[in-house]
Amino acid sequence: MALSFPNYSSSSPSNLPSPSSFKHHQRTTPSSILSSQNSFRHRFLKWVSIQSAKNQNLNAVCMQEALPSNETLKKLKDRSLPFAPPEECGNVVGFSTGKEECTVSITVVGASGDLAKKKIFPALFALYYEDCLPKHFTIFGYARSKMTDAELRNMVSKTLTCRIDKRENCSEKMNQFLKRCFYHSGQYDSEEHFVELDQKLKEHEAGRITNRLFYLSIPPNIFIDVVKCAGLSASSSNGWTRVIIEKPFGRDSESSAALTRGLKQYLEEDQIFRIDHYLGKELVENISVLRFSNLLFEPLWSRQYIRNMQFIFSEDFGTEGRGGYFDSYGIIRDIMQNHLLQILALFAMETPVSLDAEDIRNEKVKVLRSMRPLQLENVVIGQYRSHTKNGVTYAGYVDDKMVPKDSLTPTFAAAALFIDNARWDGVPFLMKAGKALHTRRAEIRVQFRHVPGSLYKKSFGKDLDQATNELVIRVQPDEAIYLKINNKVPGLGMRLDRSDLYLHYAARYSKEIPDAYERLLLDAIQGERRLFIRSDELDAAWKLFTPLLKELEEKKITPELYPFGSRGPVRAHYLAEKYNVQWGDLSTEHVHG
Amino acid sequence: MATCSSSSFISPSSFNNDPTQLPKTLQKGLLLPIRRSNIPLLHIHSNSHLRKQFQSKCSNGYPLNAVHFQDEAEAEAEAKETTISITVVGASGDLAKKKIFPALFALFYEDCLPKHFTVFGYARSKLTDEELRNMISRTLTCRIDKRENCSDKMVQFLQRCFYHSGQYGSEENFLELDRKLKEKEAGRLPNRLFYLSIPPNIFVDAVRCASCCASSATGWTRVIVEKPFGRDSESSGELTRCLKQYLTEDQIFRIDHYLGKELVENLSVLRFSNLVFEPLWSRQYIRNVQLIFSEDFGVEGRGGYFDSYGIIRDIMQNHLLQILALFAMETPVSLDAEDIRNEKVKVLRSMRTLQLDDVVVGQYKGHTKGSKTYPSYTDDPTIPNHSLTATFAAAALFIDNARWDGVPFLMKAGKALHNRRAEIRVQFRHVPGNLYKGKFGMDMDEATNELVIRVQPDEAIYLTINNKIPGLGMRLDRSNLNLLYKARYPREIPDAYERLLLDAMAGERRLFIRSDELDAAWALFTPLLKELEEKKIAPELYPYGSRGPVGEHYLAAKYNIRWGDLTSDDS
Repeated sequence: MALSFPNYSSSSPSNLPSPSSFKHHQRTTPSSILSSQNSFRHRFLKWVSIQSAKNQNLNAVCMQEALPSNETLKKLKDRSLPFAPPEECGNVVGFSTGKEECTVSITVVGASGDLAKKKIFPALFALYYEDCLPKHFTIFGYARSKMTDAELRNMVSKTLTCRIDKRENCSEKMNQFLKRCFYHSGQYDSEEHFVELDQKLKEHEAGRITNRLFYLSIPPNIFIDVVKCAGLSASSSNGWTRVIIEKPFGRDSESSAALTRGLKQYLEEDQIFRIDHYLGKELVENISVLRFSNLLFEPLWSRQYIRNMQFIFSEDFGTEGRGGYFDSYGIIRDIMQNHLLQILALFAMETPVSLDAEDIRNEKVKVLRSMRPLQLENVVIGQYRSHTKNGVTYAGYVDDKMVPKDSLTPTFAAAALFIDNARWDGVPFLMKAGKALHTRRAEIRVQFRHVPGSLYKKSFGKDLDQATNELVIRVQPDEAIYLKINNKVPGLGMRLDRSDLYLHYAARYSKEIPDAYERLLLDAIQGERRLFIRSDELDAAWKLFTPLLKELEEKKITPELYPFGSRGPVRAHYLAEKYNVQWGDLSTEHVHG
Repeated sequence: MATCSSSSFISPSSFNNDPTQLPKTLQKGLLLPIRRSNIPLLHIHSNSHLRKQFQSKCSNGYPLNAVHFQDEAEAEAEAKETTISITVVGASGDLAKKKIFPALFALFYEDCLPKHFTVFGYARSKLTDEELRNMISRTLTCRIDKRENCSDKMVQFLQRCFYHSGQYGSEENFLELDRKLKEKEAGRLPNRLFYLSIPPNIFVDAVRCASCCASSATGWTRVIVEKPFGRDSESSGELTRCLKQYLTEDQIFRIDHYLGKELVENLSVLRFSNLVFEPLWSRQYIRNVQLIFSEDFGVEGRGGYFDSYGIIRDIMQNHLLQILALFAMETPVSLDAEDIRNEKVKVLRSMRTLQLDDVVVGQYKGHTKGSKTYPSYTDDPTIPNHSLTATFAAAALFIDNARWDGVPFLMKAGKALHNRRAEIRVQFRHVPGNLYKGKFGMDMDEATNELVIRVQPDEAIYLTINNKIPGLGMRLDRSNLNLLYKARYPREIPDAYERLLLDAMAGERRLFIRSDELDAAWALFTPLLKELEEKKIAPELYPYGSRGPVGEHYLAAKYNIRWGDLTSDDS
């Protein structure tokens, strides 16, 4: 089944006149193909879903068959395989045969920054190492510093590592990878410099169909400049051009909308890939699978059975001298409004029509729009102060040199949110995020109601809610899923006990779990938008938080101080109590891992 | 099978003096024609008091409805202390040696026996007390997790053990026993428990003699009987009728030792104390339920008893059916024995009688593996060469009520199979309109959730779920949410017999089979058993150590099921 088809550019209906020079060029997308695109895509999708594990809706990649299908089929059938074979992505991305070959050029704008060094280049290498990048690809670093290609390679090479579980050819692979990395120095707002970049890119693309991905790893105030320059001077003339941006996406509804407007001057909606790297985490990806491929959870997923949900994020370190950026945003913007809210939306959304990105994002937007904007009385904020333990003194937040002494920025926040729809009316969704706490963890807890008319009432003490079922999804560290159930303590008596039905990822899956950035980069290359935030989602998310954030600032609400390394402000408990909830992470019960 | 030939007719009331057996709930509920006479008010009053005390010590947590354990204050009020005499009838038999005495010792070791108790062995062989003690002492063991004072405790226990030799049908010999018991009871209020560890054909004789000559005059008298309880509806009905000549319903404790197993006990807890299972427990979500029992050995030279019963009577009609009833019953009004047994009877009576079409029978044949040869069933010297007795059976059962209509309950029991296990598997339906359909190959039913309760070996509960294989792709996989008892509870799990003996002493009837339950169970199986015998249905032969006859797969396939224990994807 040597399916081969001409390239068509990204799935947006780009026949619309567009203000920009950055939108899709249709030279190689004749209307005949466009019109048949749907049925074509259909067949193509079917084929992909057999071919590869990554069979979400892939809507715009130049790709060809790579593997004999029956081999892959066999692998798919074999459910006992402990982990995915390396081909899991290899045959999805632009392998080329025939005359028109594709190439992807990935430009990391802000290549000398921390994120680029620590996450982006290593993730790109990991993808390369796993054979997930297309045959022809080029990586460009772009930044203001003057550097040679060799210097960039040198810098990049320091952070590359190979998967622990397959080290063969590691250094060889690294060399090959580094040979594909180049550097171009330029100003972020200089069209001229981007024209130079374009020339260099063209050189490497060597006449192939060119797809271009720009990763903006730069401060938000220069997003628009870069997008403008890249759009005008360095976008692909015959393939797709996509831009990945990182948070912050504004600091409230207005600034976020302004940013979106700015981007949309030069980009179509489907060219914008807003990353929320939490969505790339393994267990967050798994939420939809758990919800929608297990009958067990289906009847339970509503106010009838669920008492509350908790989304918990904690770090055991503070700003550590890098509080500059943080201080102007605070924990609510930094963690809650994006990461935790995104997870909440995945948890609470209705079943989408399909797994297509647009279908999923439509449902997420619906949930967000059904939510009540946050009320000040449903929020607790805190800020860590210094703490001395065993002779070691941990600095308080305002001790950070980058933080003003009188800063009121919260480093901790807890909030109760409500979704006013038929499924969730009255169920509190509690969120908690904090820095400088006693543990580092991210987890989702679903607490179920107590058994109505329980026969075993007497065995449970006064509060039936203390012994309810609970589903815990631990996103990090030490990925795990467990379901707390009541059972009988073995022995002659009839004592009840909570035990866990437990799935520990490290024990079940020996393979290293890929970093969130790998997944997201791969998705962006493949045009899979499921894990990226659409503009209307972002608007809806800001709408929930903006009034609260303004009120906090206007009223100069003082955060409750809590000691570095503690369990956070006590008021978080009072907030929970108000809705008859107990924080699942602060109970005394034994915890796995 | 003995008929009720006992010549001397003794008024039932002579054995019917159980003054404290009824909790108030029962008195109101009155499901059974129980004759109760002369219940002093004092007893009822003290009973609730005592119950509390007993619960806190060896608490079985359930309402204990007839105990006479005493605290000091009570002793004064009553001027009489209670004592329990436990007579093991058939003391020299295998079950007694391997299970009953060790269980009694374990209870003693755990301080679960009352202060005053006496253990009597009764059998035909001539033995001295010393010889009995000697015999018993060989099978006693202490819990691995607390060995202190073990030999001390053993000595103390053995000092309470005595022996009386006599015929099972001799009233005279039981009179002698009664005298000896009285001696040991030393004027205390005596409660007497008889454990009949003897062949069924002498049940009635022993019950008659014990009843006329050795029942407690002032306390309660209870009799524990072991299967077989007849071999079909008629013989079982007859046995019950005969027992009831000498015993009231609430004196009869029919043991099904599977009901004493830890995870079977836990079944109700799982069902009724976890909200997550509640909405799932019906035809809407459950596709089928499988009850699986297998042994990895044959009759091993002891097929005499087995051959006249066969696996269906030996395992299915009692153990598996009991588990099924616990699994499928409606929520009882309370955890009281009568409430639970009422619900079990209802389920059993809602079931369709077994059809020959829905049953597969098998018999193991010899098999040579490597250099070792395993004998076939009919090679056993105690088995007739042409025996058609089933050593394996699989069956599909149906409960025609609102909750379970159309859900197949598959049972399977066999000897000489490839492994030893007992488990309950609940297979759920597939997700309707599954978004991940594309990931599951052709048969959606192969990737459904499954709840497995492994009763033995290696007690465990696990829930098979679909999740994503970590990695960049989107491949799904079945994983288990797992609770392995050994890992979670390092303590040794008590033997089923300990629990059951304790319950019998405490008058807790929840885990014993009531007469109407037994009738209902036989009513389901009797027509099938008769048909098998009349039509001389030949069992399908399967090699010793194999996975059983292929016919079981066809039976399952007929109802669109795969046996959960025979798939390749888990253990």
